[in-house]
Amino acid sequence: VTTQISRAGLLIGLGLLIISAVIGYDAVMMEVPKVHAKVGPRVFPVLVAAGLGIVGVMTLITVNRKDFPVAEGDTDWRAFGIMAAGLFVHLNLLKPLGFIPAGLALFMAVSFALGSRKYLRDGIIGFLLVSAAYFGFTQFLGLQLPAGILQGIL
Amino acid sequence: VGAFDALMQGFATAATPINLLWSLVGVTLGTLIGLLPGIGPALTIALLLPVTRKLDPTGAFIMFAGLYYGAMYGSSTTSILLNTPGESGSIVTALEGNKMARKGRGAAALATAAIGSFVAGTLGTLALTLLAPIFVKFALLFGPAEYFALMVLAFTTVTSVLGASKLRGAVTLLLGLALGLAGTDILTGQPRLVFGLPSMLRGIDIVVVAVGLFAVGEALFMASRRDLRSAEVLPIKGSLFMTREEWSRSWKPWLRGTAIGFPFGALPAGGTEIPTFLSYFTEKKLAKNPEEFGHGAIEGVAGPEAANNAAVAGVLVPLLTLGLPTSATAAILLAAFEQYNLQPGPQLFQNSGDLVWGLIASLYIGNVMLLVLNLPLAGVWVRLLSIPQSLLYAGILIFSTLGVYSLSNSIFDLVLLWIVGLIGFLMRRYDYPVAPAIIGLILGPLAEAQFRRALTISQGDPSVFVTHPLSLILLLAAFCVVVGPVAFNRLNTYLAR
Repeated sequence: VTTQISRAGLLIGLGLLIISAVIGYDAVMMEVPKVHAKVGPRVFPVLVAAGLGIVGVMTLITVNRKDFPVAEGDTDWRAFGIMAAGLFVHLNLLKPLGFIPAGLALFMAVSFALGSRKYLRDGIIGFLLVSAAYFGFTQFLGLQLPAGILQGIL
Repeated sequence: VGAFDALMQGFATAATPINLLWSLVGVTLGTLIGLLPGIGPALTIALLLPVTRKLDPTGAFIMFAGLYYGAMYGSSTTSILLNTPGESGSIVTALEGNKMARKGRGAAALATAAIGSFVAGTLGTLALTLLAPIFVKFALLFGPAEYFALMVLAFTTVTSVLGASKLRGAVTLLLGLALGLAGTDILTGQPRLVFGLPSMLRGIDIVVVAVGLFAVGEALFMASRRDLRSAEVLPIKGSLFMTREEWSRSWKPWLRGTAIGFPFGALPAGGTEIPTFLSYFTEKKLAKNPEEFGHGAIEGVAGPEAANNAAVAGVLVPLLTLGLPTSATAAILLAAFEQYNLQPGPQLFQNSGDLVWGLIASLYIGNVMLLVLNLPLAGVWVRLLSIPQSLLYAGILIFSTLGVYSLSNSIFDLVLLWIVGLIGFLMRRYDYPVAPAIIGLILGPLAEAQFRRALTISQGDPSVFVTHPLSLILLLAAFCVVVGPVAFNRLNTYLAR
């Protein structure tokens, strides 16, 4: 039992209630033909929404009772932010820049977030890995990956 | 056809050069990913799904099963030499195994783990061979109502036994079920939780969720925890040939670990974690010199390492005969069956006997390959442990995003991956178990289909679930799993007063 009301627990409880409401609203808004009325596509979403509502309320109750244990240990939010941002930038750069440059950027961001400061080593390994993945998958497995700015050169 | 004839037929399938090759690929890859922290069998099979779509299903499943077995072998090496488990099934192995390595008995720890895995894997596969035909006969009694009730039971057990609390298990199960709802309803064509986005009509691919929760969530969690980053790899010291004393202290824990692991794998309890813990505490209790536990007792390695391999064999029983996944990896394997339009259960044994029995036979062969790969070649694998964690996770994320993008060449899937990855991070940070989410996602749509089929047959009368005796028993069992422990506690406090 902790001494303070857990803010994380509060947000998780509220988040669950919001998801429950969204699923419930979506289910109510469905226009279901009469033939399917009894065992139609609405029953399960309503059950899931109700379940999420219940666990959401129960989470809030345990938080209010200060009975929401959270693992201690200091969280490096900066490193977390760098990696999350790296992934987000990667998915935005993939089409315009191409698989290899975007992948290299992701590789560098992830290894930086995990504490590596050997930029040259990481850059070379990253470049080799991403290029090998690109050629392996496009040439041998027949996948289509965006060439981007390297279009024509590759 | 008797089980023996069927198995011999299976050996004929598994022993073809191409299938032997698939088995070798599977066990090698399995050892590799078992060894490397951050990448496990569920994630690897999910990433392989898009690439294996056009493969012969028999070869693909032989590879997947070898991979699942191999991961259990490989992860013990990491636990023993690095003190961080390669997989969750080897968490307890680190307790005694790493202590042994520190005392210069690392080789003996690796040997008892590998031989114990071989013994348990082989005995477990034997039990699978004998039990599968019996389970298939039992499965013939199942109609839609019974299947639905069985899935409800699986949902309740999986939420009750995993994670810090039942509430947290229930939260992730429901989130998994919610993700499974999204997309076009198969029976009516009704779009659900699509929010007007055309890309959402085909639903959320299982690969996106598995990769998001396992790879992205795990990498983000590792970034957030500075204290988990550095670890010391110990060299293998001592002889790989166990002494007479080490043999005599190992063989009973191997057999006990097998006996604990196999049934627990077959129960919907998330696979390997619980039986390994149980095996550890059993060995501690039965040991002649319990004071050695915590300082490198070989029994504490032999038992749990046998238990996790036996559990994997156990997992395959309900998966192949009933289509019921009891662990996250089994859930992904079920998705693989769906990819090939195969339905695990009695029909699979009848229509695709070659595949099932070839798969089971390949496990015997794979176990022998794994013993060779892991014992004499242990020194080669250990070098992989010196890959810096930063490069390891960077590589995992490159292949994860590549795998997800290649599903349908869509950036939208990468956006979903990002969101699911953040959810996966939150689950780890706040101690919510991941396995119920994966099982809910895969089993949810199947449960819904059986639920609606049962109600359609009964013309909308919901009493089918309680008038069919088997369905009633399963639902009562589910009820007991949820209410039982609470009632038991109340009774205990009442009696104590």
